[in-house]
Amino acid sequence: MNETLGAVLDWVAILCILAGAMLSLVAGVGLIRLPDLLSRMHAAAKPQVLGLVLVLVGIDIRLIPVETNVFNVGTLVLVALFQMATIPVAGHITARVGYRTGRIEEGLMARDELAERLEADEAAAGDRGGDGAAR
Amino acid sequence: MTRPRKRKRAGLTALRRRVGKVQVPVALGMTLVWMLLFKGFQPRWESLGLLVLGFLVSVLIMVLFPMPPITPMPRFHPVHLVRLVLYVLAEMVVASFQVTVIIFTRRQAPSSVVAVRMRTDSDLTMVCTAIAASIIPGTLIVEVNRSERVLYVHMLGVGDDEAVERGRRDIWKLERRFVMALGTHEDIAALRAGGPEALDEQETREGGERP
Repeated sequence: MNETLGAVLDWVAILCILAGAMLSLVAGVGLIRLPDLLSRMHAAAKPQVLGLVLVLVGIDIRLIPVETNVFNVGTLVLVALFQMATIPVAGHITARVGYRTGRIEEGLMARDELAERLEADEAAAGDRGGDGAAR
Repeated sequence: MTRPRKRKRAGLTALRRRVGKVQVPVALGMTLVWMLLFKGFQPRWESLGLLVLGFLVSVLIMVLFPMPPITPMPRFHPVHLVRLVLYVLAEMVVASFQVTVIIFTRRQAPSSVVAVRMRTDSDLTMVCTAIAASIIPGTLIVEVNRSERVLYVHMLGVGDDEAVERGRRDIWKLERRFVMALGTHEDIAALRAGGPEALDEQETREGGERP
């Protein structure tokens, strides 16, 4: 009975790790195939998060019956947690810089509400900017 | 002789002020991370020492590197918290497949940057919503306008108006779940009072009363 349970857990772990690896592969393919920076950010940051989490879950399942002295389930939870906390920050900064320096393909942008907003801001700043230049 | 002593006293009051600013719940959260790092969740005597040591280290970090306090402190609603986590996980799986399909079928996928106005007035909710939207595939935060509470979200594969509205509603749904799980009573009441349109009306009404 215990052996069958172990075998089932093994298979679940294998499937999780395999699915995670596939998602990371998809992320890599997306990096090449997608047209511009913002779209590529989606591929780079996202399927890879789920991929990593799946790999970690797979390792978790294998780890529960085994006692190692290097790391345990808690460590893996921390890895997932920090990955989820840091990826949005890095993604946001990259997207922001990319957008502000104009590294986007406007032809693919169906609707851009930020551009409208920035133009309005710039027009307002232009009025004030005249004073600034005079000073 | 008096000057060093005076300086010492000023240093002491500054230290006391900093210690007073330590937020205990935040310190407890850091202690939790410490326990996870050092395998503190095992029934043995060392775990107790780890707990105390972790708390002391957390307080020390917060005294040495003070951060702006989290106000108001979140209230945890366990049931809604579990539902929130499950919802985000489900969205991650579904949206991962959508992004995968886009990657393999369409070379020139359209995308949009959509402005989403938050319905509640708390920084914490806004940050959490932004983080969750970043983790869920297909949405990416390009720009945040804190004073007006607007998130500018880049959405992959969103071309027409209908899809834009659907994406906007998804972000609102995310926000609603975060408010239900972490928000204060006022936030939840504000959310219950109605959708974004109702809240806008309310704001203009309040703004009209104030002056």
